[in-house]
This record gives sequence, C-alpha cells and structure tokens, in this order.
Amino acid sequence: METSSLTWLAADYHVPATYSCRVPMSSQTCALVSPSPGPATVRLALIRTSIEVFGLPYVKRVLFPHIRAMSVQIRPPERVAISPQVLRAYKVENTTETLIEAPVSREMAHAEGPMTIYLEVPLSLREPFSQVLSMIGYWGQASGLAWCQSIQIQAPRPEQCVRSLRLFPEQVPARPFFSCILSEFRDPEVAWEEVMPMIGAGHKNPLRLDVYVWPLALSQEQGSGKLYVRTSFAD
Amino acid sequence: MKKQFPSHIYELSINVRATWQAQSTSNAGSNGTNRLMPRRQSLADSTETDACSGNIAKHAHAQLAAEYLEAAGCSLCPACKARDGRRAAALTDQPDAKNLSIEWIVRNCGLCDTHGFLVTAKNASSDGSTEARQRLSKHSLIEFSFALALPERHAETIQLVTRVGDSKDEGQMLMKMTARSGEYAHCVRYKCAGIGLDTDKWRLILADEEERGRRHRAMLLALRDGLLSPQGALTATMLPHLTGLQGVIVVCPSTGRAPIYSALQDDFIPRLCALESETCIVAPFETIDTFNAAMQDLIEYTHPALPAACQRPSESTAFARNARDQLA
Repeated sequence: METSSLTWLAADYHVPATYSCRVPMSSQTCALVSPSPGPATVRLALIRTSIEVFGLPYVKRVLFPHIRAMSVQIRPPERVAISPQVLRAYKVENTTETLIEAPVSREMAHAEGPMTIYLEVPLSLREPFSQVLSMIGYWGQASGLAWCQSIQIQAPRPEQCVRSLRLFPEQVPARPFFSCILSEFRDPEVAWEEVMPMIGAGHKNPLRLDVYVWPLALSQEQGSGKLYVRTSFAD
Repeated sequence: MKKQFPSHIYELSINVRATWQAQSTSNAGSNGTNRLMPRRQSLADSTETDACSGNIAKHAHAQLAAEYLEAAGCSLCPACKARDGRRAAALTDQPDAKNLSIEWIVRNCGLCDTHGFLVTAKNASSDGSTEARQRLSKHSLIEFSFALALPERHAETIQLVTRVGDSKDEGQMLMKMTARSGEYAHCVRYKCAGIGLDTDKWRLILADEEERGRRHRAMLLALRDGLLSPQGALTATMLPHLTGLQGVIVVCPSTGRAPIYSALQDDFIPRLCALESETCIVAPFETIDTFNAAMQDLIEYTHPALPAACQRPSESTAFARNARDQLA
C-alpha cells in the first residue's frame, strides 16, 4: 500500500431535504440521529460506491487497504435542525423473526450549508477517490439524498470537524456541543471479510464505538425540535 | 425548447416545487387524541414547516409500479403479486424459502428488483429445528425525499369530521383533521442502471435488455403519474388539488450522480440549469404539460444504461478501464 505522498480531498455535499443518520445502539424503533455521518459510515459509503464505479475486484485489492486506514474528517453543515417523526415501518419480531408493521419514531435532520468530508489519500489515487466521492448519493437512509457539489484539494480545520472525546482539546469554552456515540473501524488492519461478512464465518466485529463531539452548539429548542449551529472548538 | 434525452440513462433526478391544495397525504398519528396531527419538520433556518414523508411517496409509487409491471408482462414474485409491502421478505414463510437467492428474486420480480427488499439474516436454532438464513437485500433504485413546504407559503385549516366508531356502542365520534395547502419542495432520484443487477456487488443478473427496458418504463410511468396525480393518506376524502408543478429533470447518461438541489431555494431552476454539460442533461419545466411531455420522451425513447463494472471493455469509462488494466 503506497502511503509516501498523501493529499487531502475535501468533498462538499448539498443535502436538499431531510436526512437521518442513526446513532449506533439507539433503538431502530426509536431512533436518534447524529447531525452528520460518522467515520465508519463514511468508510462504508466509500466501499459501497467504489464497487459501483470500479467493480468488486479492484476495490478489494486496490482501494480497500486505503479506505480502512485513511484519515477521515467530517465537518458538519452550518446549521442543523433535528425533529422526531412518527413513521410506519417494518420491524423484525424477536421470537418468530418475521417482519411486522409498526409505528416507529425516528429523528430527521434538515441542514443549511454543505457538509464536508475530508479524506487523506495517496496522490496516485486522487482521481479514483475523487470519482467515488462525487458518486456518493445519500447519507443515512435512502431518503437522505445528497449531492456532491464540489471536490477540492484542501486540508481540514480540525477545530471545525467532528472529534472523538478522547482527542477533545482541554481548553475549550464550555458550550452545549452536540455529542453522541459513533462507530469507527476497529483498526487500520480490518479484513475485507470482516466488513463483507458471509454466513457461518465467525469474524470479529470490524467496528468499535466511541463518544464523539460535534462543533455544533445548541441554539434553539422549538417544541420537540432542536436547532444546532456550527461553532468552532477554537472560538 | 424540447430537450433531447440520450438513448441510455444511468441515473436521473427530479427536483420539483409542487403546489397542492387541501391535502393530508402524510400525517403523524393521533397521539391518543381525536385529532390527527399533521407532519411537521424543523428547518435549519429555525422555522417549522409542513412535511410529507418520503415513505408514503415511495409506497404509492411501488403500488403503481406493480400495476404497470404486470400490464407490461413483467413477472412479480408471489408476495408482490399480492401487494405485500414486505416484498421478498414475505416469501420466507413459504416451504421452499431456502431456495431464495438474490438471482432468483432479481430475475423473477420486477418490483423487488426496482424497489428493493430485505430478507434478514437468521441464526440456526440450537436444537436444529430451523436453519440459518443468509441476509439477502437490494437497495431501492428509487429514492424519495421528504416533501417540505416553503415556510412562508403554506397554510393549514382544521376540519371537524365525523367518523363511525369501531363498534355500535361507540356511535359516531368527532375527529379533527387538517387540510394543508402550500408549495412543497420535493426531490426524487432514480438509478435506472441498477435494474437487473445485484447492487451489493454490482453484478449483472438479468441480461435480457428488453426486460430491463420494460421495468424501466414501468418505473417512469409510475413516477410521472405520482407527480401528476398525488397519492398518499386520506385521499379517499381529501384528494389533493394539484395547482402547479415546476422544476427540473436532470439526466446522467453514463456513470455519475444526477444532481439534486432543493426547491426550497428560490433559484433552484437556474442553479440546476447552470450544471448542464455532456454528462448532465438538464430539462426544466414550468407547467404540468411540459413535465408530462418530458416524461413521455423519457418513457418512449430511453433505456437503462449498464454500470461501468458490467460493460464490455470497449464501452466502459476510462476510470473503469484503468482499474481493470491495473488488476490485469
């Protein structure tokens, strides 16, 4: 795997309507959402989309070793409103493992301003990764339509990006920042078979959970809805 | 000017501002009261607006697509024939369920192929009475956003209606329902290149191009009808009045994502038109008849493209060719 010369790609996504990235471990029938996808969601979206563009063999052999190990930074939109919605959905009945229809509650988010995904990629793979980034069409559920407006070579500003609580700077003014659990790949050596599991094969969980903090401060509560505004950790 | 669409389409998006009067097509339940709550969504500009869920639009599209698929002679699985919303997942109750495979479902059901399905994985029971089951799934090829009312351009009227209770003893009961009117921003994306494919591995299963074309036309016909004749909840007594439809159809002829841009923005039509290029064909429309004419062209003259990974080397994109060359 070539890592000698790396560059940052920054992809801006316009999210025209609502989207819903479920917080890991929150119930599927009462789902809480995060204001943007987490690092594991980004890596999985890269895998899924690159299979669409280049086919499975190339992704498995060439892109996957980079996708599992690359630095990923996520800058949330400037403003994010989150409100709960009651929806009808299918859920798996525990005892019989059949699908039944039931009302569920799921939060939906609406954003203003682009959401930016930063990837640190080898220079030689800049073009394929740019094409994959441009092809990602939704975040969270399928109704969370997204469109990649632009891709630039630009490094992230860490104080504007989602950050693991373990790496949270000590000197930050106290604010009601949004925080929740997110998933990330367990380590940079996660195997392809762990991410694409087959029945009967006992693989380790490729994901680990961690608490993350968003540079988004609560600005307003309106009924059951909440509005978050991007606030740099450095301000 | 009439827009010339390419003969093969990879993906298309429809970005519309639809004006509906007196509708209640998507609601948030009664919360234990005698009032049916309208669906509301907070927006990032700190306003709260009326909304219609994408689920209900997708559900209505699937019902209509099933009818068009049957009319075109496309096969449906037993679950979709009975209009079971679980689609292929409903077949797990059948005696020959262990023979279910992604190949069988994609080949034999136009609706599971286009609207997607999920057969959940299951572990074998410890006493050996039930076998393990592999997860089978296909992501939907058509995706609907929430329809969001423009914050300054929607209104709501509470209507008092009577309903007969569940039993004779309950008699007649009073209910409050809302009739909502406004201009709604709505986006739809349809990835036609995925027809007949296992989209987890982007592997072609259905090589019959005529059948792929029939499924594609059924999807477009249902999409056209869904926008020209709104469907959803409570349409038996509150069928919405459609009084305006303007927007943009964006078509990608080869591998690419068709741009979507919210009609909540006043300049969404010029912004999308400015994206026009060889790989992004843009067709704006201002009225229902120009929308219908554009859809008719798509229905009559277009065919789903094949994704780069499934094409012959001479047809594939430069990126996919390079990828193959590197592997070789």
